[in-house]
Amino acid sequence: MFTLPQKESRAPATCPGPTSIQDLDSNSGDDLERECSRKPDRKLPEDCGASGPTAMLSSDSSCLSSRGRVIKWFWDSAEEGYRTYHMDEYDEDKNPSGIINLGTSENKLCFDLLSRRLSQSDMLRVEPSLLQYPDWRGHLFLREEVARFLSFYCKSPNPLKPDNVVVLNGCASLFSTLATVLCEAGEAFLIPAPYYGAITQHVYLYGNVRLVCVYLDSEVTGLDTRPFQLTVEKLEMALQRANSEGVKVKGLILINPHNPLGDIYSPGELRDYLEFAKRHELHVMVDEVYMLSVFEKPAAYRSVLSLEGLPDPQRTHVMWATSKDFGMSGLRFGTLYTENWDVATAVASLCRYHGLSGLVQYQMAQLLRDRDWINQVYLPENHARLKAAHAYVAGELRALGIPFLSRGAGFFIWVDLRKFLPEATFKAEMLLWRQFLDNKVLLSCGQTFECKEPGWFRLVFSDKAHRLRLGMQRVRQVLEGKSRVAEEPSSCQTQEPRSQRR
Amino acid sequence: MESALPAAGFLYWVGAGTVAYVALRISYSLFTALRVWGLSHEAGVGPRLGEWAGSSQPAEAETQSMSHPSDAVHLPWGQMGSQGLGNQGVHTQPMEMMLHLKQAIEKHMRQLATRHQQQDLVPEDKRPYQAPGEQEALLGNLMYQLVNLLQSGATDGPGLQPSCPSLDVKGDAGGGQWQWAQSSRQPAQPGYQLNDPEATFVSQHLSRRGIDISASYQASFQDYKMYQGDKYHEDENTLLSQSDMNVIEDVLLQYPDWSGHPFLREEVARFLTCYCKVPAQLDPENVVVLNGCSSVFSTLAMVLCDPGEAFLTPTPFYGGFVFSSGLYSKIELIPVHLDSESTDANPCPFQLTVDKLERALLESTLAGKKVRGLILINPQNPLGDVYSRDLLEECLGFAKRYNLHVIIDEIYMLSVFDDSVTFHSVLSMESLPDPNRTHVIWGTSKDFGISGFRFGVLYTHNKEVASAVSSFGYLHGISGIAQYKLCRLLQDQEWIDTVYLPTYRSRLQKAHRYITKKLKALGIPFLNRGSGLYIWINLQVYLDPCTFEEELLLHHHFLDNKLMLSRGKTYTCKEPGWFRIVFADKPLRLKQAMYRFYQVLEEQKQRLRVKQLESTQRE
Repeated sequence: MFTLPQKESRAPATCPGPTSIQDLDSNSGDDLERECSRKPDRKLPEDCGASGPTAMLSSDSSCLSSRGRVIKWFWDSAEEGYRTYHMDEYDEDKNPSGIINLGTSENKLCFDLLSRRLSQSDMLRVEPSLLQYPDWRGHLFLREEVARFLSFYCKSPNPLKPDNVVVLNGCASLFSTLATVLCEAGEAFLIPAPYYGAITQHVYLYGNVRLVCVYLDSEVTGLDTRPFQLTVEKLEMALQRANSEGVKVKGLILINPHNPLGDIYSPGELRDYLEFAKRHELHVMVDEVYMLSVFEKPAAYRSVLSLEGLPDPQRTHVMWATSKDFGMSGLRFGTLYTENWDVATAVASLCRYHGLSGLVQYQMAQLLRDRDWINQVYLPENHARLKAAHAYVAGELRALGIPFLSRGAGFFIWVDLRKFLPEATFKAEMLLWRQFLDNKVLLSCGQTFECKEPGWFRLVFSDKAHRLRLGMQRVRQVLEGKSRVAEEPSSCQTQEPRSQRR
Repeated sequence: MESALPAAGFLYWVGAGTVAYVALRISYSLFTALRVWGLSHEAGVGPRLGEWAGSSQPAEAETQSMSHPSDAVHLPWGQMGSQGLGNQGVHTQPMEMMLHLKQAIEKHMRQLATRHQQQDLVPEDKRPYQAPGEQEALLGNLMYQLVNLLQSGATDGPGLQPSCPSLDVKGDAGGGQWQWAQSSRQPAQPGYQLNDPEATFVSQHLSRRGIDISASYQASFQDYKMYQGDKYHEDENTLLSQSDMNVIEDVLLQYPDWSGHPFLREEVARFLTCYCKVPAQLDPENVVVLNGCSSVFSTLAMVLCDPGEAFLTPTPFYGGFVFSSGLYSKIELIPVHLDSESTDANPCPFQLTVDKLERALLESTLAGKKVRGLILINPQNPLGDVYSRDLLEECLGFAKRYNLHVIIDEIYMLSVFDDSVTFHSVLSMESLPDPNRTHVIWGTSKDFGISGFRFGVLYTHNKEVASAVSSFGYLHGISGIAQYKLCRLLQDQEWIDTVYLPTYRSRLQKAHRYITKKLKALGIPFLNRGSGLYIWINLQVYLDPCTFEEELLLHHHFLDNKLMLSRGKTYTCKEPGWFRIVFADKPLRLKQAMYRFYQVLEEQKQRLRVKQLESTQRE
């Protein structure tokens, strides 16, 4: 069943050029959402080619199976950057010279609101049913609440049905289970790139499913109206190329609002993409994990569930989670909404491995039910804080004369640092990334999002003002010093200490 | 039995074929579910153990838990209807109706059951319930609406069709897992043909493995078995409810270390060091915590084996492993069959010996299989065996000789209730023969009766294995809030030692004593071990011929009498006729259960007599 990502399977035949099947080594680093970990040193595609990790893997660990070695490699490569950060985490009092994390996409602005809400007495309830084996799709009370919640916030024309909801421990698990039940090993999903790179690991680990990138350009040409615009034409081309290379594509992944672009698809665009998928009988997985984090003109955002008459409802699967919109990435709560019963049931069959604690399910239901708090306290405050943080960082970038993309959604700004690279290579991009890290500020570089143009960075702004200020100061230092240092090749090898895990 | 009649009466009354079919399906699944709603339903069984000691649980709790079987009670009755009828397309309406109907029938039956229970147990229950007449009127009304809808839908032609194949699943879905489990059992039941999950999963949308996954889950006998083992304890309730449990810190809400928050891994290391009697302090860096032991096993199988490779498994063994090994990792479990016969070579029934392991390994190697490891469960499930230190050492030595990994599942380690039996964790050994290939699994599901918490632990000296398993942390992560609570739970050693464990064990002991006494009185052979929540019993004399078909039939006779046991086949036992009885239940329930047990066996005797008579006559 499983073909392992060994040399054979990764040979050029399945590793086509520009549309390339997501090469494992190329984005290794992104698996963990704390993308701070991004340190793509040894897995530059041009360095490793088709033999990268395999060559590297063959040397070690006699105890693991071959797939086990690939799996471990995901962990190791993810760990490095994260480890650097964690060994030297910034703390106002204890470690003011520590690393500021502008890399992990987490909302740290509203912890006060959340902790107050989650500490209220209605959150602590222990009853037998919560401690016993649950309905693996999620407790009914929670699925009902999720259905109501999504019906309301996605502005679904008809009430969504609790029976079509599956609850599990995060969107990562959703990607994994969907990949497993929709694809055979070795098949693929289309995904517009740049994209949130962790998905590569999610669909690969258990599912052995690859991603085929639909590369987007920063240049506005032809019919595009904005940088990195996704068009049906590009989808068609990528699909065709994959087909011609013998790659079986089973679906399309859309992230809306987009990570890392912060883009929002218009209802018309959405419909076009969905029609495209329908024409080719592709499943569409729509990741709407940032849907309530649209802080500029939130009304402009349209969930796919708000569309009247989906082109192919049986093949449209929507994901949402509290990780981003409620700033609780550590809570591990994700949910699937699909009209397709077979898919819901198949995903539920795997939920035994991706369940979340009954007590937490109860808390989530309480949280989602509290519409007053969400509408009157949380969302307005959250949006206001995001807006303020965004305005600050955007202002700083403008002052530095740095172009960026930002469309008022998500926790991040997609920044164009191409002019700071001595040459347009990913190697140079990574050197710059390291310089940031050396100057104690962690960003995510474009390569970890599978961006095809070197020089783009994602900068997360959803953090407290003083940390942002310090972080931006450090970014500025690096960029200002950059012109001076550019000539002499950087002497900054951050760390080679692969000595210990974590 | 009679509880289904009102619903059935209406069917005749309505006289619509389609409706009858549909409603039959629904009421059927409810009906079977209710029948099985006997000994081993989790929710019902849960709180009962608490009564061994005090037996002062208020009557209300009794009825409360009777109403647990279906989460549908939480469904706001009217709201659902207005959603469904008001806004949905025509063919979804029948579904909504059906849901209503199902709830109505369910409610009705529950009340009947409740009343029934009350007569037995708690005469003065103050909970109001609708009179049967009202219920029937309601049902009639619903059926009437349904017929109308179906008639109007029929003009739409295909509108109805697509939703029909998955009806059975839908019917189950609303009622929660217990029903699901029931329907999953049905394909194997002769005469229960209405429901065919296989058909449901021939889907154009799923991949082949997706279909396999769904089908294997549906067809699997494993699930309902899982409900049996786990108990919930009153004392625990109080601890988990203490205010110090509800702490929210920013780290808990942020991305964790994917191998588990350091504070929890430290606590787990400390806990295991203490309760596994480890000579040297365990290292938190060797701990990985995931959301349940199934996840731990699944990830271990992924990283230790390539697809098609195999693990040796002394058999009978916990059936969940079969499911886990097939679902994601596609590894093979090779049974090392143990015999019930006592012989010179096999002094004890189902005795595990290295000889048998050697033989199994040789045979599988000759058959061209690649064996990567050995799975041990200690204390054993379903046998209840607790391995001696010598045996453990021999097994580990064997594994080392052949470079085999050993996955050792110690999930029942604190559930040893017989004082004369000593449990030896592998971690207690002075020096492990092959530490790099020894991987220990533990969780709180059994020993703390909180299976809904989703918490499983891997302890391995092998850093590579720990890292590789941690790669899956993203897919098997536990909520930070839950991690905090678990940490507090494990930390409270005083409570565990002075309150929880003594109470837990003495209740297990009492329940065990009661059941074994009954079994002896009935002359039924069983393995008398001092651990676990279950007893492995031999009902071979009640099978004629002694086949798995007969075992299944007997299993159904139990179910028909609202008693759920697990049969040997589920544990890959090679001899038909063995069953596992879970005894961790409160006295009243156990008494009731044993009465039903006795009845079924009496009936079975009768059946056997008739059978013999017939066959002698034929001769």
